[in-house]
Amino acid sequence: MHPLLIVFLIFGVPAVLGLAWVFLRGSESLRRYILTRIALTVPMVLILISVVFLVLRVMPGDVVSSTLGPKASDATRASITEALGLDDPLIVQYFKFLGDVVTLDLGDSFIGARRPIVDELGERLPATLELIIPAAIFALGSGILFGTYAAIRRKRPADYGFRLYSVIVYSMPIFWLGLLLRLVFSVWLDWTPIAGRIDVVTNTTLDRTTNLLFVDSIISGNWEALKSVLHHMILPALTLGLVLSGVFVRLTRINVIETLQEDYVIAARARGIRERAVTYGYALKNAMIPVVTVIGLQVAILLAGAVLTETVFNWPGMGRYLIQRILLRDFQAVQSTVAVFALFVAMISLAVDVIYSVLDPRVKY
Amino acid sequence: MATELESPPDPGQVPQWELELQQVGLVRRMLRARRWHGTDWWFVAISSVMVAAFLVIAVFPQWFASHDPLEQVGPRLLSPGELPEQEILVVPVDGSIAAISDFELDVRTPVAVAQDTPSSDAARDEADRITDEIAAAGGEGRVRLRIARFETVGEALDSVVAGDAVAAVISSTAFDDLTADFPTLQSSGAVSSAAQDATSFPLGTNQVGQDVLSRLIWGARIAVIIGFSASIASFVVGVPLGLLAGFIGGKTDRALTLIMDSIYAFPGLILAIAIAAVLGPSIFNIIVAIAVLYIPTYYRIVRGQTLQSKEELYVEAARSLGAKSKVILGRYIFPNVIPSVAVIFSVNVADAILTGAGLSFLGLGLPPSTPDWGIDLARGQEFIRSAWWLITFPGLAVMLVVLAFTMMGEGLVEIFNPKLRER
Repeated sequence: MHPLLIVFLIFGVPAVLGLAWVFLRGSESLRRYILTRIALTVPMVLILISVVFLVLRVMPGDVVSSTLGPKASDATRASITEALGLDDPLIVQYFKFLGDVVTLDLGDSFIGARRPIVDELGERLPATLELIIPAAIFALGSGILFGTYAAIRRKRPADYGFRLYSVIVYSMPIFWLGLLLRLVFSVWLDWTPIAGRIDVVTNTTLDRTTNLLFVDSIISGNWEALKSVLHHMILPALTLGLVLSGVFVRLTRINVIETLQEDYVIAARARGIRERAVTYGYALKNAMIPVVTVIGLQVAILLAGAVLTETVFNWPGMGRYLIQRILLRDFQAVQSTVAVFALFVAMISLAVDVIYSVLDPRVKY
Repeated sequence: MATELESPPDPGQVPQWELELQQVGLVRRMLRARRWHGTDWWFVAISSVMVAAFLVIAVFPQWFASHDPLEQVGPRLLSPGELPEQEILVVPVDGSIAAISDFELDVRTPVAVAQDTPSSDAARDEADRITDEIAAAGGEGRVRLRIARFETVGEALDSVVAGDAVAAVISSTAFDDLTADFPTLQSSGAVSSAAQDATSFPLGTNQVGQDVLSRLIWGARIAVIIGFSASIASFVVGVPLGLLAGFIGGKTDRALTLIMDSIYAFPGLILAIAIAAVLGPSIFNIIVAIAVLYIPTYYRIVRGQTLQSKEELYVEAARSLGAKSKVILGRYIFPNVIPSVAVIFSVNVADAILTGAGLSFLGLGLPPSTPDWGIDLARGQEFIRSAWWLITFPGLAVMLVVLAFTMMGEGLVEIFNPKLRER
């Protein structure tokens, strides 16, 4: 089975099941909302893909000569151009590309071994997922924890400390943070490996099925590999997670402070419920609702950050692939990668919106 | 209520409407905001000072940078504060000689050097310089040297110990290695008195011998150009679009909003990467690529504000008086939208600088020799094992500038929306 398909099964099937469950259990207005939301996702992806297609077609630099080199004869040139469909009218190329995206048959890469792009992405997408999922968990966890603590300790040193933390972390260029962490922990202290996803030697012993090395090493019971994978994962995930956590600290703090002033919280306090229970049982729950909405927007920051983090840590994910292919002018691969990014973002923001509509029944559509 | 209306106006009291009028307008609001909010004024003060300092440095980098950012001005990979290698005069500890100018005039003073080094040239140059100085002052006499060449630095120093030479001229690093072996000798500083106060590199030099600090200072200019131009371009496109969409409504609004939301939801950097790659490396292109990203930011906020103020009573009043749409938009709605846009602008400049640094870090958007913080970081990461300063300082510069603009944006929010303050 293709690794991309397995990855989709791991993440997509629960999502689809969840969506179906919400859809069947939900109210009439919720159903209508979900349908509209799905309907809106399609033009959104379409717009992005079209923009990227157009932008890349005016790209200077001829892909045929960069593939074949300057010495190629005109006949070879012409045959390659024809094989790639580059002499078709733009509109024909456009619809062909749309068809390719829909059927996920993204064609072959222009450069190097000319592997099918789907196969190449099948290696890169899991790598990116393995970077952003731990990062997101870290960002959310630490953000909510620190944010709530800062809110409780409002206007005390801890509060100022965490506010400063969130502003500083937000202002840090993510690639700089990555380089600094690498300098300290990999070069000076030698605690973590300097780059990559897994030890070169251990890699040869690992059977790959999903290309999610974390999952693979557990499935095959290869604990040596699991150790190596986790060891390699720490710094990149920490880098990405730290930058995002600032946003969540701020948001959680603001919302908890606000809900702590609501009447129902005051009422709960008046009834003598302990402060800890009031904060975590009453206030935090409602304060989380706006935080969930923002997760959707953070996905964009997460992916953009992943591109830079992957470059710093030589992490063989989608972002680094995109940069490499852009520098090689392989626009078949570039447009496909961006299309996959667009699909990814659309899916996540759909999921977040649905979760939000379930969490907060006040929202009307 | 009734009694209030009936009471005659107190001549000494300022009427309410005048008080309200005083709160109108951007500048007035900022001035009045001195009272904002007790504890946080320092927040705004610090950030304003930082932004001002940054702008001054960016506009006049030549005042602050001691070296040309594109020239090789020193040895490669010199760590911060380390002095570049120079020729020093080594003399006996108990001797009376401290510099070449102390040599007896018109006598060929024996000086030991190691062969095949620039030491003898440095010594001769200094001797000639002193001779010229004496002549210029109207005096007579020459500093004359008898250079004795030795195969190694050690042998040259031995001859000073033995008293065959009055002093030795060798390179500073060579002497550092041998200090322990020659307890009776000491360095009396650089041979050439001209070089003594010259080149020092507070933040070190990079892999091609450029001064890191000077490149940082000139990098501020690039950051300002990118940050402000991109933000202004997004502003110029995004604000009118937002005004129009909010004001006209209907299908135009829906179509524009869909496009803007699509761009907004997509990872901006990836889009900028694609655009920058297409346009090729130049500072103008990087500005275009970044400007496209932030159009939706302005669009969304302006559209929302327009929708809100469109319903206000004064707009309705203007319309019923027969004001044209253009006038309503320009004179009644636009001024109300501006304060929230000002806040966005400040934060936007910070974001644009951050994105610009990211793009040039990835090798897109700027010609590779430009003194830019992102480029310096990208080139420095190859030397992460040997030169920590190359990746530390450019990133710190980005962070401080972004911090300053973000903090200023936060401060502006508090000025313009005091309601948010209790948060």
